[in-house]
Formats: sequence, C-alpha cells, structure tokens
Amino acid sequence: MWINMGPQHPMTHGLWNLRVKIDGELITDCDPEMGYLHRGIEKISEDRHYNEVITLMDRTCYVAGFAWEHLYVLAAEEALHIQPPERAEYLRTLCEEFQRIGSHLMWYAAFVQDIGLMSPFLYGMRDRDLVLDLFQSYTGARMTYEYMRVGGVRNDLPPGFTGHARKVLDWLSDRFVEYDRLCLGSDIFRKRCDGLGVLSAADCVATGVTGPMLRSAGVKRDVRRDRPYAAYPQLDFDVAVADGADVTARYLVRMEEMRQSVRLLRQVLDWLDHHPGPVLADRLPRWLGAPYAPVGKEEYVLKRNYPKGVGFSSIEEPHGEAQAYVVNEGSEHPYRVKFRSPVFANLSATRHYLVGYRVADIPPIMGSVDICVGEVDR
Amino acid sequence: MTEPLTATEKTSDNPILWVAKPMVTAARQFARSLLHPSTVVYPFERLEDPKFRTEVGIESGKPIGVGPIWDNYRGVHALNIDTCISCNLCAFSCPDLCIDMVTVPGGDPKHPKKCPQIDYGKCSYCGFCSDACPEGCLSMTTRYELSVHSRREMVFPPEKLFGIYQQKLPMNPIRVERPANEDRIVLEPPLCIGCNACSRDCPTNCITMMEIPKPEAKPGEKLPKRIWKEPVINDSDCVRCGTCISVCPKECLFWGSRK
Repeated sequence: MWINMGPQHPMTHGLWNLRVKIDGELITDCDPEMGYLHRGIEKISEDRHYNEVITLMDRTCYVAGFAWEHLYVLAAEEALHIQPPERAEYLRTLCEEFQRIGSHLMWYAAFVQDIGLMSPFLYGMRDRDLVLDLFQSYTGARMTYEYMRVGGVRNDLPPGFTGHARKVLDWLSDRFVEYDRLCLGSDIFRKRCDGLGVLSAADCVATGVTGPMLRSAGVKRDVRRDRPYAAYPQLDFDVAVADGADVTARYLVRMEEMRQSVRLLRQVLDWLDHHPGPVLADRLPRWLGAPYAPVGKEEYVLKRNYPKGVGFSSIEEPHGEAQAYVVNEGSEHPYRVKFRSPVFANLSATRHYLVGYRVADIPPIMGSVDICVGEVDR
Repeated sequence: MTEPLTATEKTSDNPILWVAKPMVTAARQFARSLLHPSTVVYPFERLEDPKFRTEVGIESGKPIGVGPIWDNYRGVHALNIDTCISCNLCAFSCPDLCIDMVTVPGGDPKHPKKCPQIDYGKCSYCGFCSDACPEGCLSMTTRYELSVHSRREMVFPPEKLFGIYQQKLPMNPIRVERPANEDRIVLEPPLCIGCNACSRDCPTNCITMMEIPKPEAKPGEKLPKRIWKEPVINDSDCVRCGTCISVCPKECLFWGSRK
C-alpha cells in the first residue's frame, strides 16, 4: 500500500511529499516528490543585476542564507574577474561559520522534536537566537541579510562586535555539552536512533550524498579542506567524521562540526581584531555598485568593453556541498545561473536509507537528513 | 581529527535512569531560566527598550537570546523630502520594483519634484535604496510594526515617509561607501543638437550648456539645424544617476570610462 507522508506533514519540514510503500509496518519502497516550492530563482536571476541576485539567495535557503550568498558571490566574482579584499574574505568566513552554527542548532531543534523531545527544541531555538542577534547587529536583519556584495561585503563590523561574539561562543560551547548529555546520555534517545537509516559509504558516493551524511559514513570529504576558498586555507580545523552511518552518527558529526566552527570563529575573530582594511574592492564596474541606472546604450557599451567569463564555486554549506555556475556574457545581467543543491541529492537517495525500516522510524531518519526544501526546489 | 566519532556516554538497563538522567539536565536548564528568562512580554516590553540594548543577552539577569533592535535594523524607511534631489537612484536600484517616483509639491511646473513612494506590500527591506541614495535622505529606521487594514494602506506616499522622518526614530548609522569607479557620462558630439534637456533635468545641476563655435559652411554643404551649445558635465558633482541619458532625445550621452 502506498501512503503519502506530505506535502503537509510534521515530518517533512517544508513542502515535499514522501510516498512510502508499506507492507504492514515495514517500508518496502519509497518515492520522494519534490517541486512544491519551486520559485524559478535561477530564471529570475537571469533578469537581474549581479548584486540584485543576492536578495534571492537569502530566500533560497532560509536557515543558511549566508552560505548561499557566499556561494553566489564567489561564482560571480570569478565570472567578472573581481578579487575581493582579504578582510572581506575573513568577514565572509565569519558569516558562514556562524551560519553553520545557526543552521545546525535549527536542525538540532527540529530533529529532537521529530523524535518527541520538546525541551531540547526550546533550548536549540533559544541558543540559535543569539547567533541571529549577532547577525542583526551588523547586517540589520535576522534572516534575510543581503550583506555580501560581488567584490566584498556591504559594511564592516560595528565596534565591540568581536567581544560580543566571543561571549556568545563561550556560552554556546557550554551548551553543546548539555545537548550531548541530554541526547546521547539518554537511553531513550539511543534506543530510538542507534542503527537507524544506515547509508553506507558506497551508497553515499553512488547517490551523490554530501555533507554531514557523507561524513557520518566515514568518508572524510569537506570542501573547506579539499578545495579551500575564502579564508579557510589560513585557518586550522578538523573534519568531523563518524563511522556509524546511522542517525546517531549524523548527530555526532553535526555536534562536532559546531565545535569546530567555534574553533574556526575564534581564529577569525582574532584576525579581524588586528587587520583593519577595506571591505569592498575598488574599481568595480559602475553597474555593480549600489547605484546604477540601466538606460541608454549601456548594453552595447558593456558588450564591447567588458571581458566575458564563467564562474564556478563550490562551498561546504551546512547541509552539504553546494555548487554554483555563473555565465557572464558581457552584459549587466548574468546570462545563466545554475545551482546544485546538496539537500536535493540527499533526499533523492531516500530509497537507500528508508527501505527495510518501520513507518515509525521515518521521522527520526528524515529528521537526521536536515531538510531545507527552499533550496531543494529553488 | 583522526579518530571517527563514537558516542561515549554510558547507557544503562534501568528504565528509571532512562527518565531520570535527562531530567537532571532539564532541571539545570529550568534553574538557569529563572536567572536568565528568555521571554519578552511583547506589548508591555519592547526590544527597543534600554534594558535590552546593553549586551548580547547572556549576562546574569538579562534574557537569553533576546537581542536588542540595533540602530542599523532595516525597518520602514524615513525620507527627508527637503534634501531629496529626485535622482531616481532608489527606484533604479530596487530589486522588487516597489518604489515609484511621484510628484510632490515644491517643484516648478516645468520641472516637478519627484520623491519615492514605497509599496510595503512588495518591499523586501533589502536596503539597496538607502545604500544608493547619494544625499543620504532615504534611510531605514528601527520601526517594524506595519499592520494595516487594506492593501492600499501599504503604499506609503512621500509625505507619510517624511512623517516617519520627523518622528526622529533611530536610523541606520552605517553609511555604505559608494564604490569608487572610473565611469562617467560622456558625449558623442556629432549627434548633439544642444536641446538643453539634460541640463534642465539634471538633479544636481552639474550640467552647463557651453556655447561652441558655429563652423563655417563649406560651399554646397548644409549645416545641421541645431543650437550651437553642448553640455559640459562637472564630474565631481555628478551622482551618476543617468537621468540625462534617459531624457536625451538623440541618445548622444552614454556611459564611458575615463581615460
């Protein structure tokens, strides 16, 4: 019998439909259906100026907006032959690592609620709010930041920011210990999660699964380490891997990643304290700056003068490896923008990690995938 | 990290411990929540209140995870009509096309003064318009309460935005540096007819019409019918809004690079 879990179901964390074929309680087949949240972001981007696309990137994934902004600006800079200043690269790293903590805390809150724990949900959301408040203190918004620009970032940090940020990191480090005590120390949690949703390393590679799911299967693959970008080559951190390949292993990997993010952020904050400088590249094309007036013969002039190019970028988003491809045909709009969403691949592989388990196991397994439907459908 | 992660916490067979162990942590959190409450009683307490403005909110007695509304919050706009130069740059830079330039009293009949009218039903609060404003007259405030009874009320005309400006709310202190660029408006002289449209509509009055010598007509050649004047643009005053390009009837002004 086929049953629909979704598109409106507490398990789905967004608009998508998981059709499962069941034999009694046993799952014999499943079929993920995505596309309920398709907004055509790639197509809209072709009609926008390079900087205006950044407003769409925050809406692509609403819990990891900075990661997607970073992904896009890296690709656009390569396509437009622009080099951002070094301080901007560190600021972007700061944004991305704080976003990783925020996103993983959001995952923690949603995941523990999926398996029926209400109190840790509140703790996770409460501590994530500290990260959002830090974002608001320098971008002006809590979720839709519009902070990065092609060629740098919008503004520098306010005075006293690094002190606040260090306090938040100290607070969060203590909380991670409590989270572990609350979940891993609880036998109910362990009995619910151990050995569930096993996706072997070979299956991960075959289905294109990336991110914490891949690392929980023991594959040491992290774009920040394998193909470093922004300020990551200068920073010291470890790649978290586990070998259980089950729900508990994914929990362990994400918790360790948050600790590594804290370690990275302390290095970034120290660097930012001692290296003032510009945050936006000078001598940008006029139509990239905030004010521009697209009228007259501009199209013609640009096509004659500005070098063409293509840009590719790949970053370690909180959910996995995201990629972007931007084609610059010499006009003020990108000719083509293409994104690769990690969660799309992770969801497409449901058949490999759901079949053989029970219906009641679906919420913990799918909760451990960390779904963000906004970026799946774009 | 060399070793793969494993769960090291001890497990037990006693079902009472299954419940009791997490409860210890939950009790600690409860005790902490008495010291650091996490709730703002919204209509009676507001995030702008001075008690929330001091720290990030993890000191004793301060609510956890309750940050203040900082001054650079991107809320409703405030417009200073008096200093607006009607350059259109806010409307050009808006990704959502929610800004219309509407006529306000104060200009002369031939050259009406136009100021931005913002449709908050479309606005995404990205702040590109206030970044683009060359005079700093359009900025974003900390106001965030916007409930209205109809869609028509979501459209804020310039007068209403000026009213918000007059309330002297905290405004975004971060003025974004406009990136230096070498682009400027250049003239393609053979096409110009000296019509004065660019000089008349320039918001900053940085274009002056200079007389040029009328050339001698060669035998058998007819001089073009035009006014013998050409625009000269003062680059230091120019805000690069492109109004002159859009009004030029002969399309002889365009963006060029300084040599």
